[in-house]
Amino acid sequence: MTTDSAITTRGLSKRYADVLAVDGLDLHVRRGEIYGFLGRNGAGKTTTIRMLLGLIRPTGGEVEVLGRRIVPGETEVFGRIGYLVESASAYPNLTVRENLEVQRRLTCSPAAAVPETIKLLRLEPYADRRAGRLSLGNKQRLSLARALLHYPELLLLDEPANALDPAGIVEVRELLRSLADERGVTVFMSSHILAEVAHLADRIGIVHDGRLIEESSRDDLATKARTFSTKVFSEQERADAMLTMELERYFLWRTGDEFQGGDA
Amino acid sequence: MFSSALATEFLKLRRCKVTWATLVGISMGPLGIALFMWIVREPGRAEQLGLLGTKANLSGLEATWPSFLSMLTLIVGIGGMLLLSFIVAYIFGREYTEGTAKNLLALPVRREWFVIAKLIVALAWWMTLVVAVLAEAFAIGLALGLPGLTAEMAAGGVRNALLAAGISYLLVPVIAWITVLGRGFMPPLGFALAMMALGNLFGKTGWADWFPWSIVPLMIGMVGQPETLPASSYVVLALTFVAGVAGTVAQVHYSDNAQ
Repeated sequence: MTTDSAITTRGLSKRYADVLAVDGLDLHVRRGEIYGFLGRNGAGKTTTIRMLLGLIRPTGGEVEVLGRRIVPGETEVFGRIGYLVESASAYPNLTVRENLEVQRRLTCSPAAAVPETIKLLRLEPYADRRAGRLSLGNKQRLSLARALLHYPELLLLDEPANALDPAGIVEVRELLRSLADERGVTVFMSSHILAEVAHLADRIGIVHDGRLIEESSRDDLATKARTFSTKVFSEQERADAMLTMELERYFLWRTGDEFQGGDA
Repeated sequence: MFSSALATEFLKLRRCKVTWATLVGISMGPLGIALFMWIVREPGRAEQLGLLGTKANLSGLEATWPSFLSMLTLIVGIGGMLLLSFIVAYIFGREYTEGTAKNLLALPVRREWFVIAKLIVALAWWMTLVVAVLAEAFAIGLALGLPGLTAEMAAGGVRNALLAAGISYLLVPVIAWITVLGRGFMPPLGFALAMMALGNLFGKTGWADWFPWSIVPLMIGMVGQPETLPASSYVVLALTFVAGVAGTVAQVHYSDNAQ
Protein backbone atom coordinates (compact mmCIF):
# COMPACT_ATOMS: atom_id res chain seq x y z
CA MET A 1 0.00 0.00 0.00
CA THR A 2 1.55 3.29 -1.08
CA THR A 3 1.31 6.60 0.75
CA ASP A 4 0.04 8.53 -2.30
CA SER A 5 -2.95 6.27 -2.38
CA ALA A 6 -6.38 7.53 -1.38
CA ILE A 7 -8.09 4.22 -2.09
CA THR A 8 -6.52 0.82 -2.52
CA THR A 9 -8.41 -2.43 -2.84
CA ARG A 10 -6.88 -5.84 -3.33
CA GLY A 11 -8.90 -8.77 -4.55
CA LEU A 12 -12.06 -7.13 -3.24
CA SER A 13 -15.08 -9.40 -3.63
CA LYS A 14 -18.66 -9.54 -2.52
CA ARG A 15 -20.97 -12.48 -3.00
CA TYR A 16 -24.72 -12.47 -2.34
CA ALA A 17 -25.86 -16.09 -2.38
CA ASP A 18 -25.34 -17.12 -6.03
CA VAL A 19 -24.49 -13.63 -7.27
CA LEU A 20 -20.90 -12.44 -7.34
CA ALA A 21 -21.51 -8.67 -7.23
CA VAL A 22 -17.84 -7.70 -7.04
CA ASP A 23 -15.17 -10.06 -8.26
CA GLY A 24 -11.53 -9.61 -7.21
CA LEU A 25 -11.42 -5.85 -7.69
CA ASP A 26 -7.97 -4.22 -7.57
CA LEU A 27 -8.27 -0.45 -7.41
CA HIS A 28 -5.68 2.22 -6.86
CA VAL A 29 -6.91 5.80 -6.67
CA ARG A 30 -4.25 8.45 -6.19
CA ARG A 31 -4.65 11.38 -3.84
CA GLY A 32 -5.93 14.52 -5.52
CA GLU A 33 -7.28 12.87 -8.64
CA ILE A 34 -10.82 12.52 -9.90
CA TYR A 35 -11.53 8.90 -10.63
CA GLY A 36 -14.57 7.95 -12.67
CA PHE A 37 -15.95 4.51 -11.90
CA LEU A 38 -18.02 3.68 -14.90
CA GLY A 39 -20.34 0.74 -15.39
CA ARG A 40 -23.81 -0.32 -16.38
CA ASN A 41 -26.58 -0.76 -13.84
CA GLY A 42 -25.79 -3.78 -11.68
CA ALA A 43 -22.09 -3.79 -12.58
CA GLY A 44 -21.05 -3.60 -8.91
CA LYS A 45 -20.40 0.14 -8.52
CA THR A 46 -22.64 0.77 -5.52
CA THR A 47 -21.57 -2.43 -3.79
CA THR A 48 -17.94 -1.35 -4.21
CA ILE A 49 -18.62 2.11 -2.74
CA ARG A 50 -20.51 0.54 0.18
CA MET A 51 -17.51 -1.70 0.87
CA LEU A 52 -15.17 1.31 0.73
CA LEU A 53 -17.35 2.86 3.44
CA GLY A 54 -17.64 -0.25 5.57
CA LEU A 55 -21.40 -0.38 5.03
CA ILE A 56 -21.03 -3.83 3.51
CA ARG A 57 -18.47 -6.41 4.58
CA PRO A 58 -16.44 -7.90 1.75
CA THR A 59 -16.47 -11.66 1.34
CA GLY A 60 -12.89 -11.45 0.10
CA GLY A 61 -9.97 -9.06 -0.24
CA GLU A 62 -9.20 -5.89 1.62
CA VAL A 63 -9.86 -2.16 1.50
CA GLU A 64 -7.59 0.67 2.55
CA VAL A 65 -8.87 4.25 2.48
CA LEU A 66 -6.65 7.25 3.31
CA GLY A 67 -4.13 4.88 4.82
CA ARG A 68 -6.58 3.07 7.12
CA ARG A 69 -7.90 -0.44 6.69
CA ILE A 70 -11.67 -0.49 6.69
CA VAL A 71 -12.68 -3.00 9.33
CA PRO A 72 -15.66 -3.15 11.73
CA GLY A 73 -15.19 -0.56 14.45
CA GLU A 74 -13.12 1.82 12.31
CA THR A 75 -14.39 5.36 12.80
CA GLU A 76 -11.44 7.78 12.66
CA VAL A 77 -11.09 7.78 8.86
CA PHE A 78 -14.76 8.62 8.27
CA GLY A 79 -14.18 12.14 9.56
CA ARG A 80 -12.04 12.64 6.44
CA ILE A 81 -14.49 11.16 3.94
CA GLY A 82 -17.61 12.70 2.47
CA TYR A 83 -20.00 10.42 0.67
CA LEU A 84 -23.25 10.07 -1.16
CA VAL A 85 -24.54 6.57 -1.68
CA GLU A 86 -27.13 5.82 -4.33
CA SER A 87 -30.26 7.83 -3.52
CA ALA A 88 -30.54 11.23 -1.86
CA SER A 89 -31.85 10.95 1.68
CA ALA A 90 -32.59 13.34 4.52
CA TYR A 91 -34.86 13.69 7.54
CA PRO A 92 -38.07 15.01 5.97
CA ASN A 93 -39.30 16.81 9.11
CA LEU A 94 -36.06 18.81 9.40
CA THR A 95 -35.15 21.80 7.27
CA VAL A 96 -32.15 21.84 4.97
CA ARG A 97 -30.24 23.79 7.62
CA GLU A 98 -31.22 21.36 10.39
CA ASN A 99 -30.29 18.33 8.30
CA LEU A 100 -26.85 19.84 7.80
CA GLU A 101 -26.69 20.69 11.50
CA VAL A 102 -27.08 16.97 12.26
CA GLN A 103 -24.12 16.24 10.01
CA ARG A 104 -22.10 19.14 11.46
CA ARG A 105 -22.50 17.89 15.00
CA LEU A 106 -21.66 14.32 14.11
CA THR A 107 -18.49 15.36 12.28
CA CYS A 108 -17.52 18.03 14.85
CA SER A 109 -17.34 20.66 12.11
CA PRO A 110 -17.33 24.40 12.88
CA ALA A 111 -20.67 26.21 13.02
CA ALA A 112 -19.75 28.25 9.94
CA ALA A 113 -19.64 25.09 7.84
CA VAL A 114 -23.43 24.97 7.55
CA PRO A 115 -24.02 28.40 5.93
CA GLU A 116 -20.88 28.01 3.81
CA THR A 117 -22.06 24.69 2.41
CA ILE A 118 -25.57 26.00 1.83
CA LYS A 119 -24.05 28.80 -0.22
CA LEU A 120 -21.67 26.47 -2.06
CA LEU A 121 -24.53 24.24 -3.21
CA ARG A 122 -26.82 27.23 -3.92
CA LEU A 123 -29.36 26.06 -1.40
CA GLU A 124 -29.98 29.48 0.19
CA PRO A 125 -33.58 29.81 -1.09
CA TYR A 126 -34.40 26.45 0.47
CA ALA A 127 -32.33 26.65 3.66
CA ASP A 128 -35.38 26.83 5.92
CA ARG A 129 -37.58 24.53 3.89
CA ARG A 130 -38.26 21.04 5.19
CA ALA A 131 -36.31 18.39 3.31
CA GLY A 132 -39.53 16.47 2.72
CA ARG A 133 -40.77 19.36 0.60
CA LEU A 134 -37.73 19.65 -1.65
CA SER A 135 -37.65 18.61 -5.29
CA LEU A 136 -35.58 15.53 -6.11
CA GLY A 137 -32.85 17.72 -7.56
CA ASN A 138 -32.61 19.84 -4.43
CA LYS A 139 -32.62 16.73 -2.27
CA GLN A 140 -29.63 15.59 -4.28
CA ARG A 141 -27.97 18.97 -3.64
CA LEU A 142 -28.67 18.56 0.06
CA SER A 143 -27.04 15.12 -0.01
CA LEU A 144 -24.02 16.61 -1.77
CA ALA A 145 -23.93 19.39 0.82
CA ARG A 146 -23.95 16.76 3.57
CA ALA A 147 -21.01 15.04 1.89
CA LEU A 148 -19.02 18.27 1.60
CA LEU A 149 -19.87 19.89 4.91
CA HIS A 150 -16.88 18.70 6.93
CA TYR A 151 -14.23 19.59 4.30
CA PRO A 152 -13.38 15.96 3.48
CA GLU A 153 -10.10 14.85 1.88
CA LEU A 154 -11.93 12.19 -0.08
CA LEU A 155 -15.33 12.25 -1.71
CA LEU A 156 -17.07 9.00 -2.57
CA LEU A 157 -20.00 9.84 -4.80
CA ASP A 158 -22.37 7.29 -6.19
CA GLU A 159 -24.16 8.70 -9.24
CA PRO A 160 -23.87 12.31 -8.00
CA ALA A 161 -25.72 13.75 -11.00
CA ASN A 162 -28.88 11.75 -10.31
CA ALA A 163 -32.01 13.92 -10.49
CA LEU A 164 -30.04 17.08 -11.30
CA ASP A 165 -31.06 19.19 -14.28
CA PRO A 166 -28.43 19.92 -16.96
CA ALA A 167 -27.42 23.21 -15.33
CA GLY A 168 -27.13 21.46 -11.97
CA ILE A 169 -24.95 18.76 -13.51
CA VAL A 170 -22.58 21.37 -14.92
CA GLU A 171 -22.49 23.24 -11.59
CA VAL A 172 -21.66 20.08 -9.67
CA ARG A 173 -19.07 19.14 -12.25
CA GLU A 174 -17.39 22.53 -11.85
CA LEU A 175 -17.62 22.32 -8.08
CA LEU A 176 -15.92 18.92 -8.00
CA ARG A 177 -13.23 20.09 -10.39
CA SER A 178 -12.48 23.11 -8.23
CA LEU A 179 -12.40 21.00 -5.06
CA ALA A 180 -9.83 18.71 -6.67
CA ASP A 181 -7.75 21.54 -8.16
CA GLU A 182 -7.90 24.07 -5.32
CA ARG A 183 -8.20 21.93 -2.21
CA GLY A 184 -6.60 18.71 -3.40
CA VAL A 185 -9.73 16.71 -2.64
CA THR A 186 -9.75 13.21 -4.12
CA VAL A 187 -13.00 12.38 -5.86
CA PHE A 188 -14.16 8.85 -6.57
CA MET A 189 -17.41 8.99 -8.48
CA SER A 190 -19.46 6.26 -10.01
CA SER A 191 -21.76 6.65 -12.95
CA HIS A 192 -23.41 4.67 -15.68
CA ILE A 193 -23.21 7.68 -18.02
CA LEU A 194 -19.91 8.03 -19.83
CA ALA A 195 -20.48 11.70 -20.70
CA GLU A 196 -20.78 12.52 -17.01
CA VAL A 197 -17.39 11.12 -16.07
CA ALA A 198 -15.70 11.94 -19.38
CA HIS A 199 -16.09 15.66 -18.69
CA LEU A 200 -14.59 15.43 -15.26
CA ALA A 201 -12.46 12.43 -14.43
CA ASP A 202 -8.69 12.31 -14.71
CA ARG A 203 -8.82 8.54 -14.90
CA ILE A 204 -11.67 6.23 -15.68
CA GLY A 205 -12.15 2.63 -14.63
CA ILE A 206 -14.76 0.55 -16.40
CA VAL A 207 -16.38 -2.11 -14.26
CA HIS A 208 -18.47 -4.93 -15.69
CA ASP A 209 -19.91 -7.94 -13.88
CA GLY A 210 -18.00 -6.89 -10.78
CA ARG A 211 -14.63 -6.82 -12.52
CA LEU A 212 -12.46 -3.90 -13.59
CA ILE A 213 -12.15 -4.51 -17.32
CA GLU A 214 -10.35 -1.33 -18.30
CA GLU A 215 -8.59 1.57 -16.66
CA SER A 216 -7.32 4.56 -18.66
CA SER A 217 -6.70 8.26 -18.45
CA ARG A 218 -9.53 10.36 -19.82
CA ASP A 219 -7.45 11.38 -22.85
CA ASP A 220 -6.52 7.80 -23.71
CA LEU A 221 -10.12 6.73 -23.41
CA ALA A 222 -11.26 9.64 -25.60
CA THR A 223 -8.75 8.65 -28.28
CA LYS A 224 -9.95 5.05 -28.18
CA ALA A 225 -13.56 6.23 -28.34
CA ARG A 226 -12.90 8.46 -31.37
CA THR A 227 -11.19 5.62 -33.23
CA PHE A 228 -14.04 3.29 -32.33
CA SER A 229 -16.63 5.85 -33.39
CA THR A 230 -14.95 6.36 -36.77
CA LYS A 231 -14.88 2.62 -37.38
CA VAL A 232 -18.37 1.74 -36.18
CA PHE A 233 -20.75 4.69 -36.62
CA SER A 234 -21.97 6.31 -39.80
CA GLU A 235 -21.59 10.03 -40.60
CA GLN A 236 -25.32 10.49 -39.88
CA GLU A 237 -25.05 8.86 -36.43
CA ARG A 238 -22.12 11.05 -35.51
CA ALA A 239 -23.97 14.13 -36.75
CA ASP A 240 -26.98 13.15 -34.57
CA ALA A 241 -24.76 12.78 -31.53
CA MET A 242 -23.23 16.19 -32.22
CA LEU A 243 -26.69 17.74 -32.57
CA THR A 244 -27.76 16.28 -29.21
CA MET A 245 -24.71 17.85 -27.59
CA GLU A 246 -25.38 21.21 -29.22
CA LEU A 247 -29.03 21.16 -28.14
CA GLU A 248 -27.91 20.57 -24.58
CA ARG A 249 -25.51 23.50 -24.75
CA TYR A 250 -28.24 25.71 -26.24
CA PHE A 251 -30.62 24.72 -23.45
CA LEU A 252 -27.98 25.63 -20.88
CA TRP A 253 -27.41 29.00 -22.55
CA ARG A 254 -31.15 29.77 -22.68
CA THR A 255 -31.43 29.04 -18.97
CA GLY A 256 -28.33 31.12 -18.34
CA ASP A 257 -29.82 33.03 -15.40
CA GLU A 258 -29.33 29.84 -13.39
CA PHE A 259 -26.32 28.51 -15.23
CA GLN A 260 -23.32 30.85 -15.16
CA GLY A 261 -20.86 28.76 -17.11
CA GLY A 262 -22.50 28.89 -20.54
CA ASP A 263 -20.43 30.17 -23.42
CA ALA A 264 -22.81 29.52 -26.30
CA MET B 1 -18.87 12.19 20.36
CA PHE B 2 -21.60 10.47 22.33
CA SER B 3 -23.03 13.83 23.35
CA SER B 4 -23.21 14.82 19.66
CA ALA B 5 -25.00 11.59 18.79
CA LEU B 6 -27.46 12.16 21.63
CA ALA B 7 -28.04 15.82 20.72
CA THR B 8 -28.74 14.93 17.09
CA GLU B 9 -31.18 12.21 18.11
CA PHE B 10 -33.19 14.81 20.02
CA LEU B 11 -32.88 17.26 17.12
CA LYS B 12 -34.40 14.67 14.78
CA LEU B 13 -37.64 14.83 16.75
CA ARG B 14 -38.20 18.48 15.88
CA ARG B 15 -41.57 19.02 14.15
CA CYS B 16 -42.13 15.29 14.44
CA LYS B 17 -45.85 14.52 14.40
CA VAL B 18 -45.35 11.08 15.91
CA THR B 19 -44.38 12.57 19.30
CA TRP B 20 -47.70 14.43 19.47
CA ALA B 21 -49.60 11.40 18.22
CA THR B 22 -48.23 9.27 21.07
CA LEU B 23 -49.10 11.98 23.58
CA VAL B 24 -52.65 12.17 22.26
CA GLY B 25 -52.82 8.36 22.22
CA ILE B 26 -51.79 7.82 25.81
CA SER B 27 -53.80 10.79 27.09
CA MET B 28 -56.94 8.99 25.88
CA GLY B 29 -56.31 6.46 28.67
CA PRO B 30 -57.20 8.62 31.70
CA LEU B 31 -60.08 10.14 29.72
CA GLY B 32 -61.40 6.64 29.10
CA ILE B 33 -61.10 5.72 32.79
CA ALA B 34 -62.79 8.99 33.71
CA LEU B 35 -65.66 8.17 31.38
CA PHE B 36 -66.13 4.78 33.06
CA MET B 37 -65.94 6.37 36.52
CA TRP B 38 -68.51 8.95 35.54
CA ILE B 39 -70.84 6.27 34.17
CA VAL B 40 -70.52 4.25 37.39
CA ARG B 41 -71.26 7.33 39.48
CA GLU B 42 -74.18 8.38 37.31
CA PRO B 43 -76.10 5.14 36.62
CA GLY B 44 -79.16 7.06 35.46
CA ARG B 45 -77.26 8.80 32.72
CA ALA B 46 -75.31 5.60 32.06
CA GLU B 47 -78.54 3.89 31.21
CA GLN B 48 -79.20 6.55 28.60
CA LEU B 49 -75.84 5.70 27.08
CA GLY B 50 -76.95 2.10 26.46
CA LEU B 51 -74.10 -0.38 25.94
CA LEU B 52 -71.45 1.79 27.52
CA GLY B 53 -73.42 1.79 30.75
CA THR B 54 -73.86 -1.97 30.63
CA LYS B 55 -70.16 -2.56 30.02
CA ALA B 56 -69.19 -0.23 32.84
CA ASN B 57 -71.47 -2.01 35.23
CA LEU B 58 -70.25 -5.43 34.10
CA SER B 59 -66.68 -4.49 34.78
CA GLY B 60 -67.47 -4.20 38.48
CA LEU B 61 -65.74 -0.86 38.75
CA GLU B 62 -66.03 1.46 41.68
CA ALA B 63 -65.74 5.18 41.27
CA THR B 64 -62.94 5.49 43.83
CA TRP B 65 -59.30 6.48 43.79
CA PRO B 66 -57.96 2.92 44.36
CA SER B 67 -59.95 1.72 41.36
CA PHE B 68 -58.90 4.73 39.28
CA LEU B 69 -55.20 4.25 40.11
CA SER B 70 -55.38 0.53 39.43
CA MET B 71 -56.74 1.18 35.95
CA LEU B 72 -54.11 3.84 35.40
CA THR B 73 -51.36 1.29 36.12
CA LEU B 74 -53.03 -1.05 33.65
CA ILE B 75 -52.94 1.64 30.96
CA VAL B 76 -49.34 2.59 31.63
CA GLY B 77 -48.28 -1.07 31.82
CA ILE B 78 -50.16 -2.74 28.98
CA GLY B 79 -50.88 0.28 26.79
CA GLY B 80 -47.35 1.40 27.43
CA MET B 81 -45.84 -1.89 26.28
CA LEU B 82 -47.49 -1.39 22.91
CA LEU B 83 -46.97 2.38 22.68
CA LEU B 84 -43.33 2.12 23.74
CA SER B 85 -42.75 -0.58 21.12
CA PHE B 86 -44.19 1.81 18.55
CA ILE B 87 -41.91 4.62 19.76
CA VAL B 88 -38.79 2.47 19.57
CA ALA B 89 -39.80 1.03 16.19
CA TYR B 90 -40.20 4.61 14.95
CA ILE B 91 -36.91 5.91 16.36
CA PHE B 92 -34.87 3.05 14.90
CA GLY B 93 -37.04 2.21 11.89
CA ARG B 94 -37.23 5.72 10.43
CA GLU B 95 -33.51 5.55 9.58
CA TYR B 96 -34.32 2.71 7.19
CA THR B 97 -37.63 3.96 5.80
CA GLU B 98 -36.22 7.46 5.27
CA GLY B 99 -33.01 6.05 3.79
CA THR B 100 -30.77 7.79 6.34
CA ALA B 101 -29.22 4.71 8.01
CA LYS B 102 -26.44 4.71 5.44
CA ASN B 103 -25.70 8.34 6.32
CA LEU B 104 -25.15 7.41 9.97
CA LEU B 105 -23.09 4.28 9.68
CA ALA B 106 -19.98 5.71 8.02
CA LEU B 107 -19.32 8.66 10.30
CA PRO B 108 -16.59 9.27 12.86
CA VAL B 109 -18.98 8.13 15.57
CA ARG B 110 -19.03 4.62 17.03
CA ARG B 111 -22.16 2.85 15.84
CA GLU B 112 -23.07 1.71 19.35
CA TRP B 113 -23.37 5.36 20.39
CA PHE B 114 -26.30 5.70 18.02
CA VAL B 115 -27.98 2.67 19.55
CA ILE B 116 -27.52 3.97 23.09
CA ALA B 117 -28.52 7.53 22.12
CA LYS B 118 -31.71 6.26 20.51
CA LEU B 119 -32.55 4.17 23.56
CA ILE B 120 -32.03 7.23 25.76
CA VAL B 121 -34.30 9.29 23.51
CA ALA B 122 -36.93 6.55 23.75
CA LEU B 123 -36.61 6.60 27.55
CA ALA B 124 -36.94 10.38 27.70
CA TRP B 125 -39.91 10.30 25.34
CA TRP B 126 -41.56 7.52 27.34
CA MET B 127 -40.95 9.18 30.71
CA THR B 128 -42.39 12.46 29.38
CA LEU B 129 -45.53 10.60 28.33
CA VAL B 130 -45.79 8.79 31.67
CA VAL B 131 -45.38 12.01 33.67
CA ALA B 132 -47.91 13.75 31.42
CA VAL B 133 -50.43 10.95 31.77
CA LEU B 134 -49.99 10.83 35.55
CA ALA B 135 -50.53 14.58 35.81
CA GLU B 136 -53.56 14.33 33.55
CA ALA B 137 -54.95 11.39 35.57
CA PHE B 138 -54.65 13.19 38.90
CA ALA B 139 -56.19 16.34 37.45
CA ILE B 140 -59.12 14.33 36.08
CA GLY B 141 -59.54 12.32 39.29
CA LEU B 142 -59.63 15.50 41.36
CA ALA B 143 -62.05 17.12 38.91
CA LEU B 144 -64.34 14.11 39.23
CA GLY B 145 -64.17 14.40 43.01
CA LEU B 146 -63.41 10.70 43.53
CA PRO B 147 -63.38 9.67 47.19
CA GLY B 148 -60.65 8.02 49.19
CA LEU B 149 -57.44 9.78 48.13
CA THR B 150 -54.62 9.83 50.66
CA ALA B 151 -51.03 10.89 50.18
CA GLU B 152 -49.90 7.32 50.75
CA MET B 153 -52.31 5.99 48.14
CA ALA B 154 -51.26 8.62 45.62
CA ALA B 155 -47.60 7.76 46.18
CA GLY B 156 -48.41 4.05 45.81
CA GLY B 157 -50.29 4.70 42.55
CA VAL B 158 -47.42 6.72 41.12
CA ARG B 159 -44.91 4.09 42.27
CA ASN B 160 -46.85 1.26 40.60
CA ALA B 161 -47.30 3.20 37.37
CA LEU B 162 -43.59 4.06 37.27
CA LEU B 163 -42.65 0.46 37.99
CA ALA B 164 -44.89 -0.78 35.16
CA ALA B 165 -43.43 1.90 32.88
CA GLY B 166 -39.90 0.92 33.87
CA ILE B 167 -40.49 -2.78 33.28
CA SER B 168 -42.01 -2.01 29.88
CA TYR B 169 -38.89 -0.04 29.03
CA LEU B 170 -36.61 -2.98 29.86
CA LEU B 171 -38.26 -4.92 27.02
CA VAL B 172 -37.67 -2.34 24.29
CA PRO B 173 -34.07 -3.09 23.27
CA VAL B 174 -35.38 -6.38 21.89
CA ILE B 175 -37.87 -4.36 19.83
CA ALA B 176 -34.96 -2.18 18.65
CA TRP B 177 -33.08 -5.33 17.64
CA ILE B 178 -36.02 -6.62 15.62
CA THR B 179 -36.32 -3.18 13.99
CA VAL B 180 -32.71 -3.05 12.78
CA LEU B 181 -32.94 -6.69 11.77
CA GLY B 182 -36.13 -6.11 9.77
CA ARG B 183 -35.18 -2.55 8.68
CA GLY B 184 -38.62 -1.04 9.08
CA PHE B 185 -41.67 -0.55 11.27
CA MET B 186 -43.75 -3.63 10.59
CA PRO B 187 -41.53 -6.45 11.92
CA PRO B 188 -41.12 -4.89 15.40
CA LEU B 189 -44.81 -4.02 15.69
CA GLY B 190 -45.80 -7.53 14.66
CA PHE B 191 -43.29 -8.92 17.13
CA ALA B 192 -44.57 -6.69 19.95
CA LEU B 193 -48.16 -7.78 19.35
CA ALA B 194 -47.15 -11.45 19.23
CA MET B 195 -45.16 -11.12 22.46
CA MET B 196 -48.08 -9.42 24.21
CA ALA B 197 -50.39 -12.26 23.16
CA LEU B 198 -47.83 -14.81 24.33
CA GLY B 199 -47.37 -12.85 27.54
CA ASN B 200 -51.07 -13.16 28.22
CA LEU B 201 -50.92 -16.87 27.49
CA PHE B 202 -47.86 -17.52 29.68
CA GLY B 203 -49.45 -15.37 32.35
CA LYS B 204 -52.06 -18.04 32.85
CA THR B 205 -49.42 -20.73 33.34
CA GLY B 206 -46.89 -21.26 36.07
CA TRP B 207 -44.18 -19.68 33.92
CA ALA B 208 -45.46 -16.14 34.16
CA ASP B 209 -42.53 -15.07 36.37
CA TRP B 210 -40.08 -16.21 33.73
CA PHE B 211 -41.49 -14.90 30.47
CA PRO B 212 -40.51 -11.22 30.04
CA TRP B 213 -43.76 -10.16 28.37
CA SER B 214 -45.84 -11.81 31.13
CA ILE B 215 -44.20 -9.89 33.92
CA VAL B 216 -46.05 -6.58 33.45
CA PRO B 217 -49.49 -8.27 33.19
CA LEU B 218 -48.58 -10.31 36.27
CA MET B 219 -47.49 -7.28 38.26
CA ILE B 220 -50.59 -5.23 37.52
CA GLY B 221 -52.97 -8.12 38.10
CA MET B 222 -54.13 -8.49 34.53
CA VAL B 223 -53.52 -12.23 34.78
CA GLY B 224 -54.52 -13.22 38.31
CA GLN B 225 -54.05 -11.17 41.44
CA PRO B 226 -51.51 -8.31 41.44
CA GLU B 227 -48.36 -9.58 43.03
CA THR B 228 -44.93 -8.49 44.11
CA LEU B 229 -42.46 -9.77 41.57
CA PRO B 230 -39.92 -12.38 42.61
CA ALA B 231 -36.23 -11.57 42.21
CA SER B 232 -36.04 -14.07 39.34
CA SER B 233 -38.38 -11.87 37.27
CA TYR B 234 -36.07 -8.90 37.68
CA VAL B 235 -33.16 -11.08 36.58
CA VAL B 236 -35.13 -12.17 33.51
CA LEU B 237 -35.94 -8.54 32.69
CA ALA B 238 -32.33 -7.46 33.14
CA LEU B 239 -31.11 -10.28 30.89
CA THR B 240 -33.74 -9.37 28.27
CA PHE B 241 -32.55 -5.76 28.34
CA VAL B 242 -28.87 -6.71 28.02
CA ALA B 243 -29.58 -9.23 25.24
CA GLY B 244 -31.61 -6.63 23.35
CA VAL B 245 -28.87 -3.99 23.56
CA ALA B 246 -26.14 -6.49 22.63
CA GLY B 247 -28.18 -7.83 19.71
CA THR B 248 -28.93 -4.36 18.36
CA VAL B 249 -25.29 -3.25 18.64
CA ALA B 250 -24.06 -6.45 16.98
CA GLN B 251 -26.60 -6.03 14.19
CA VAL B 252 -25.55 -2.46 13.33
CA HIS B 253 -21.88 -3.37 13.66
CA TYR B 254 -21.60 -6.55 11.68
CA SER B 255 -24.51 -6.78 9.28
CA ASP B 256 -24.44 -5.48 5.72
CA ASN B 257 -26.24 -2.24 5.08
CA ALA B 258 -27.41 -2.64 1.52
CA GLN B 259 -30.35 -0.25 1.98
